[in-house]
Amino acid sequence: MTKLLEWLFGVSLIGVAWGLVTFDLLDLRLPPVYQEVAWPMPVYLLVAFGCYSLATVGYRVATFNDCEDAAKELQAQIQEAKEDLRKKGLKM
Amino acid sequence: MATGADQVVGMGLVGFSLLLFTYYTIWVIILPFVDSDHMIHKYFLPREYSVILPGVAALILVLCVGTFIAVVTWRNRKPKKVD
Repeated sequence: MTKLLEWLFGVSLIGVAWGLVTFDLLDLRLPPVYQEVAWPMPVYLLVAFGCYSLATVGYRVATFNDCEDAAKELQAQIQEAKEDLRKKGLKM
Repeated sequence: MATGADQVVGMGLVGFSLLLFTYYTIWVIILPFVDSDHMIHKYFLPREYSVILPGVAALILVLCVGTFIAVVTWRNRKPKKVD
C-alpha cells in the first residue's frame, strides 16, 4: 500500500470517528459536553498546527547563526565585482 | 546567534503563537467543562465563533495569496509576438 493510501486511510478513520461523535450517528448518546468539545476538532487541529508552524519559524529566525565576518567579506566582494564590471563597460 | 531586529521578530512570533494557542485551547477544549455561571465565560465569545473566525481568517489568507499571484502574473505578461 502506498504512503498516500495509508494517510488517506488514517485520515478517513479519524474523520469517521469524528463524524460519529459530532452528529451522533450511532445514537451513542454521549454526554453533551463531549459533543461540544468534538465538533470544532478539525478547525482546532488546523489552528494548532498553524500556531506550531508560526512558532517554529519564529524560533528559527531568532536563533539563526549570523556570520558577521562572512557577511562583510561578501559585501567587499560584491563591491569589487561591481567596480570590475563597471570598468569593463557594463552599466549598473 | 541572530541579532537585534531578527531576535525581536522571532521571539515576538513565538510569543504570539503561544498566546493564540493557549486562548484557543481554553476556548475550545476547557470551557465546555466549566460551569456556565463561572465568570471566565465573559472573556470568550460564543462557541460558534471558534469555528467561524478561523474560517474567515483562512478565507482572507487564500484571497491574499490569490491576489498576489494574480498581480505578479499580470505584471509579467508579455505581448504575443506576431510573425
